Amino acid sequence: MAMKIGEGKFKDNVNENMQDTFMRGAVAGAQERLRTRRLDAAEELGNWEEWRSHGEEIRKHVLDNLDYYLHELTENVQKRGGHVFFAETAEDANAYVREVVNSKNGKKIVKAKSMVTEEIGLNQILEEEGCEVIETDLGEYILQLDEHDPPSHIVTPALHKNKEQIRDVFAKKLDYKLTSKPEELALHAREKLRQEFLTADIGITGCNFAVAESGSISLVTNEGNARLVSALPKTQITVMGMERIVPTFEELDVLVSLLTRSAVGQKLTSYITALSGPRQEGDADGPEEFHLVIVDNGRSKILGTEFQSVLQCIRCAACINVCPVYRHIGGHSYNSIYPGPIGAVLTPLLGGYDDFKDLPYASTLCAACTDACPVKIPLHELLHKHRQVIVEKEGRAPISEKLAMKAFGLGAASNPIYGAGSKMASAMMKPFTKNDRISNGPGPLKAWTEIREFPAPNKERFRDWFKDHEKGGSGQ
Amino acid sequence: MIHHRDSFLTNVAAQLGRSRNTSVKPERNWKFRPQDKTLSGKTPDELMTVLRDQCRLIHTELIETTSDKLETVLESTVNLYGGGPISLWRDPRFDEFGLGELIRETWPARSVEVNEWDSFRGKANIAEAERANIGITFSDMTLAESGTVVLFSSSDKGRSVSLLPHKYIAIIPKSTIVPRMTQAAQEISRRVQSGETIPSCINFITGPSNSADIEMNLVVGVHGPVKAAYIVVEDR
Amino acid sequence: MTLLYGVNKVKVTLFITCIVDMFQADVGKATVEVLERLGCEIEFPMGQVCCGQPAYNSGYVEESKDAMKKMIATFEHAEVVVTPSGSCATMFKEYQHIFHDDPVWRPRAEKLASKTYELTEFIVDVLKVEDVGAKLNGVATYHPSCHMTRLLGVKDAPMTLLKNVKGLKFEPLPNAHNCCGFGGTFSVKMGNISKQMVDEKVDSAEMSGADFLIGADGGCLMNIGGRIERRGKPIRVLHIAEVLNSR
Repeated sequence: MAMKIGEGKFKDNVNENMQDTFMRGAVAGAQERLRTRRLDAAEELGNWEEWRSHGEEIRKHVLDNLDYYLHELTENVQKRGGHVFFAETAEDANAYVREVVNSKNGKKIVKAKSMVTEEIGLNQILEEEGCEVIETDLGEYILQLDEHDPPSHIVTPALHKNKEQIRDVFAKKLDYKLTSKPEELALHAREKLRQEFLTADIGITGCNFAVAESGSISLVTNEGNARLVSALPKTQITVMGMERIVPTFEELDVLVSLLTRSAVGQKLTSYITALSGPRQEGDADGPEEFHLVIVDNGRSKILGTEFQSVLQCIRCAACINVCPVYRHIGGHSYNSIYPGPIGAVLTPLLGGYDDFKDLPYASTLCAACTDACPVKIPLHELLHKHRQVIVEKEGRAPISEKLAMKAFGLGAASNPIYGAGSKMASAMMKPFTKNDRISNGPGPLKAWTEIREFPAPNKERFRDWFKDHEKGGSGQ
Repeated sequence: MIHHRDSFLTNVAAQLGRSRNTSVKPERNWKFRPQDKTLSGKTPDELMTVLRDQCRLIHTELIETTSDKLETVLESTVNLYGGGPISLWRDPRFDEFGLGELIRETWPARSVEVNEWDSFRGKANIAEAERANIGITFSDMTLAESGTVVLFSSSDKGRSVSLLPHKYIAIIPKSTIVPRMTQAAQEISRRVQSGETIPSCINFITGPSNSADIEMNLVVGVHGPVKAAYIVVEDR
Repeated sequence: MTLLYGVNKVKVTLFITCIVDMFQADVGKATVEVLERLGCEIEFPMGQVCCGQPAYNSGYVEESKDAMKKMIATFEHAEVVVTPSGSCATMFKEYQHIFHDDPVWRPRAEKLASKTYELTEFIVDVLKVEDVGAKLNGVATYHPSCHMTRLLGVKDAPMTLLKNVKGLKFEPLPNAHNCCGFGGTFSVKMGNISKQMVDEKVDSAEMSGADFLIGADGGCLMNIGGRIERRGKPIRVLHIAEVLNSR
C-alpha cells in the first residue's frame, strides 16, 4: 500500500461508501466529539487566534529556511551518533531502510503509526524481504489484521470500523474469545503486542517534529507504543517528511500545544517523547543504533509555488473533523491515505492529477477547514487554486463545462445578454413549470432537479419591479 | 554518516528560488508569543490548583503530602495498587526524601520485590521493569497546565520504568511545578544552547496510556501503564 | 462618507444578486422596503449582472473576470453597497485579491470592498439598528451560511435582528455549522454528496421543530428550500429580509 489506496473512480467510491450507514454514523459522531473537544480546548486558552498566528509564522519560517534547518538538524543528529539518509523518492527511502534492516539481520519489526511510511509503502517492501512488520498503534494494528484495510483518517485510522467488526477480526486472527467491549479488545491487543515489542529487532517510527537545535525527534502518542518502539529494539529507524521540523524546543512547545488540542482536544497527549540519537553510553535501554530518513517524495516541488502553505500541515486532522463532505463519504472515498480537505489539497500535488483530479471538487468551499486549521493553511483557497490549475493550466475540464463557463463569462458580463436571458428565462422555463416549481428540468437543470425542486424564474424580475417602484417614488 | 545531503539541500534551495544557506542562522522575529502569557504570574499554590483540576481530566490520582508523611503515603499507594514487584530509578532523591528505609528494608522485609535501575546489569533492567507491577520515578519538571511529569533519562534513570510496569507512580517535589510546557522547553533549549548534552530521551508523561481507536471510546491503559498516580510533596 | 442618520437619507446602492433578481424577487422587494423604512434612499444600477462567483469557484478565473470588472465599474461610484447575500458580499471583497497583480483594477476593487456590506451587517453595524419593528408569529430556526460567517465574518448581526422580531420564537438548528451542500456548481457536479448534505440539513431543521427556516443567502435557501419541497416537509424557508419586512 502506498499513498494511493484504491483503483475505483471517486464517484463510484462515493456511491459505495455512502451506503455504509455505520461508517457515516461513526464519522458524524466522531466529528461532533472531536470538534467540540477542539473548540473547548481552544477556548480554554483564551487567545487561540494568537496561538494560531504564532503556529503559522513558525511553520512559514521553517519552510522558507528549510535548507538551513535540515542542515542544522542533521549535523546535530550526527553529533549524537545517529545516521541520516536524505531520500528524494519513496524508492530511495525504502531501499535505505531495507538495507539497514538487512544489515542488522532484522526479522521482526515493530512500527509506531507513521503517515509518511504509509505514503512510501514501506511495509510492503519490508514484507517482500521476508520481514514480519507489526503495526502497534491500536487502530493501525486492527487494520493490519483485517487484511491491510487502509486507514480512513490520519489520527484515528480505524474510525470506519465498529467494535463488532473488530471483535470478529480478533477472533479470526488472534483466537480472541471475549466480547466486543473496547476495554477487553484493547487489553488483548496490549498483551499480544507487548510480546512483539520485547522480541523485535527493529523499531520504526515516524516523527511529529524534529528539533533542529538538538537533533531530536519528537513523537506524540496516547497509547505509548512509540515509546516502546523506541525503547526496546536494538535499532531504531525514524522516517520523516522533510518539512516536519522546528528550530528549537521553544517552537516545539507551540506546535505540540496546537497539535494535541486540534487533534484530540487534549492539552498534551499522554506521551510526548523527545529522542536525541541512540542511547547514550551507560544507558540500559533505548536503541543502540539510530537512523533518520528524511523524505522528499514530491514535497520539494511544492516549495516556492502557490501551494507552499500546504506544507505547513502538522497532521492534526482538524480539517477532516469539520469537513461536511468527509462526513458523508468517509476517508476511503478519497483513494488516498490523506483524506478530507488536507488530502484533497495534498494528494494531487504528491500523486498527480491523473489519479486525483476529482478531489479538489469534493468541497463546497465552505471554509470550515480553513477556520479549523491550527496553522492557518488556507485550505479552501488551495482547493480553489487546484480547480484553476485543472481548468487553465492542465486543460482537463470537460468540454461541455468549458463552453458553459465561456457562455457564462460572456452572459454575466454583458447587460444585453444578461438582460435578455434573465427576461426570457421565465417564458423558456414555462413548459417545465408547475405551481411555480420545476421538478424535472432540462439540460443543466436536470442534475439539480433530480434532487430538489427548482424555483421557476420570476415573471417579473426584481429589476422590473424596481423600475415601477422608483416611478412610484421611493419610500412608502 | 549523512547520505545525499548536498544534492537534497541544493534542490530545496533552488525550489525556494535562492542559493543554499547552511551557515547564516535565520532570524526568528516572531510577531506573536502567546505561550508566555498562558498561566503566567500564578503563585505556586495557584499552579497546584491548576494541576489538581487537570489530574481529574487525565484519569490520574493526585495525592498531596508533606515530606515527613511521604513514606507512609507512598507505601499505602503501592498497597492500593497491589504491591510489588516494584521498579525504581537509581535516584538520590529517594534518600533525600527519606524513602531509603522503605525501599531497602521495609519492602524487602515484607517480601515486596524492589528493583533499582542499574545500568551495569544491562538488559536485566528491562526484564525487571516488564515484570514489575508498579514503576516509581521522581518528576524532573512538572507542568501544571497539562498535568505532565517531565522525565530526563540517564544511565540511572531508565526509560522503561515509567513505561513497562502495569501502574506508574510519579513523586513530584512541589518545587518542580512550572506553569506549562513552555518553561520546560525553555530549560531544555537553554541547556542545548549552553553546549550541554541533553538526555537521549526526554519524556513528557501525562497520566496513564489510553486510546480512542475503537469507536472513539476512551480506553485507559493500552501499551503503557493502565493506572497512574502523582504524589506531590512539599519540599524539605 | 457622511451618513447623518435621521437628518439626511442614507444613500444605499443595492447589489441584488442574480439569484434574487431572477428567482427571488420577493426577497429583493423586502430588502428595499426594509431599508427604505430605516431611512435609506435606494439606488439600483441597472448595469449590474452576476458577481462571477459560479464560474470563479469552478476554477474559471479568467472567464469570470469580465463580469467582475463590469460589477466594479457599476458599483464604484456608490457611497455604500448593500446586498442581501453573505456569499455575494464576500465575492465583492474577494475581487481585490483576484486583481491583486493588476495595477488598474486592484485599487478600484479595494475601494469597492471597503464599502460593501451584507444586509444585516449594514443594519446593525452601520445604521446601528437592532430592532426593525418586524412581527412574525411562529417558531423559527436559523441556518448560518458558510461564506457569511466564516469568510465575511458576519456572525451575530442576523440573530441580533431576529431576536427582536415580535412573535418569533427560536429553536437551535442541530449541527448548524455544517454546510448545506450547495457550493454553487458542487450542487450538481457532486449531486450525490450534495443530496446527503442537504438531507442532513433538512432533517436538522425538522428536528428543531421550527415552522420557518431562516437564512441570509439565496443560494443556500434555494438548495435547502428545493429539497424541503421535494421531500414535502412542512417547513417554510424564508430569507431574513422577508422576515425583517413582515409586520
